[in-house]
Amino acid sequence: MSLPVQCPKCSAWLLEGIFNQPELTPCPACGVPLQVEIFPALFRKIAPGQSGETVIVEGESGCFYHPQKKAVLPCDGCGRFLCALCDCQLNGQHFCPACLETGKTRGRIKSLDNQRTLYDSIALSLAVYPLLIFYFTVITAPMALFVAIRYWKSPPSLVHRGKIRFVVAVILALLQIAGWGILIVTLATRHRS
Amino acid sequence: MATTEYQRLTSSRARSSFAVAFMARTSLWLGADHLLFVESNGYTEAYKRFYFRDIQALVVQKTQKAAIINAVLAIPLVLILPFALGTQALGLKIFLFSLAGLFALILLVNLLLGRTCRCFLRTAVQIEQLPPLDRLGRAQKVFARLRPLIAAAQGGELSPETISELMRQQASSSEAGSTVSTGNPAIPPRVDS
Repeated sequence: MSLPVQCPKCSAWLLEGIFNQPELTPCPACGVPLQVEIFPALFRKIAPGQSGETVIVEGESGCFYHPQKKAVLPCDGCGRFLCALCDCQLNGQHFCPACLETGKTRGRIKSLDNQRTLYDSIALSLAVYPLLIFYFTVITAPMALFVAIRYWKSPPSLVHRGKIRFVVAVILALLQIAGWGILIVTLATRHRS
Repeated sequence: MATTEYQRLTSSRARSSFAVAFMARTSLWLGADHLLFVESNGYTEAYKRFYFRDIQALVVQKTQKAAIINAVLAIPLVLILPFALGTQALGLKIFLFSLAGLFALILLVNLLLGRTCRCFLRTAVQIEQLPPLDRLGRAQKVFARLRPLIAAAQGGELSPETISELMRQQASSSEAGSTVSTGNPAIPPRVDS
């Protein structure tokens, strides 16, 4: 008897006896050693989507987006009444599609945040890598400083810590700018004398 | 703060051997109710969240990559050593011993890291490979840590007897055509209600 779980190598349906074993067990079809852990969610049926009930009784609250459909709950983001079709459930909260989209684009709903730009790494790279060819730092040091100041408050990586990269980038950029300043002043002084 | 929200499960690993050149790194982090898969190129991070309640299966497939790497490293080592021992030229001797030492060091590290594997995580809508789990020992440790969390989120672990019972129930319901194979091994079967 097979479950809808396939061998990653030969794509054969895996049979009973291979699941939740403590050790690697060979695939019955290709013999590749596998360890397959399955969980109750595999047997859970997917709940059918709801289309929303039509408003029958006059005076009954209708959905903001589909006035002819019966409202079942308010949106946790904007408070608008939603029908079953418009109700988007996320981690126990209910949102309308517009709030979900806004929450994603503006980063208000953290669990929808699926990409972040690491401005601290960009600033640090701008401050460090051009040191290999020092002349570039005349442009990149102010750029690193700008990025560090402009994006100081931008949301950092979900998993990494602190602002240490920003701090190091600012220090290095300031040192490079100071170095260029000293060089220019020295050259100007020598030129005059 | 981000550091208290996620615990590191794996160190940052290249998505593939070719990805090393492009700084593409992946890592796994443990959240309160989900597993966070992070893909980074150094300047942006992309996140995928796998909620414990949605994980259907974890699959480990043992691979021969470690054995192949060992062979690839051992062959030049065996070829270089006799020349290094036999040569009288001091410069060449030092060079050959250094080269052999480098191969031996990489071989030792590979041996210490253990057997290689590929890991997959399956939900109702996707099968995702987890590149950070490329060593069997590490994968088994991570899965041992995840197993009770997933089981707790889904109401318990599945014993082999329970699996048999659930499979029998599913077989009887599938006679009515509830589960349809999509034909593509990368796509989980479609479940019709």
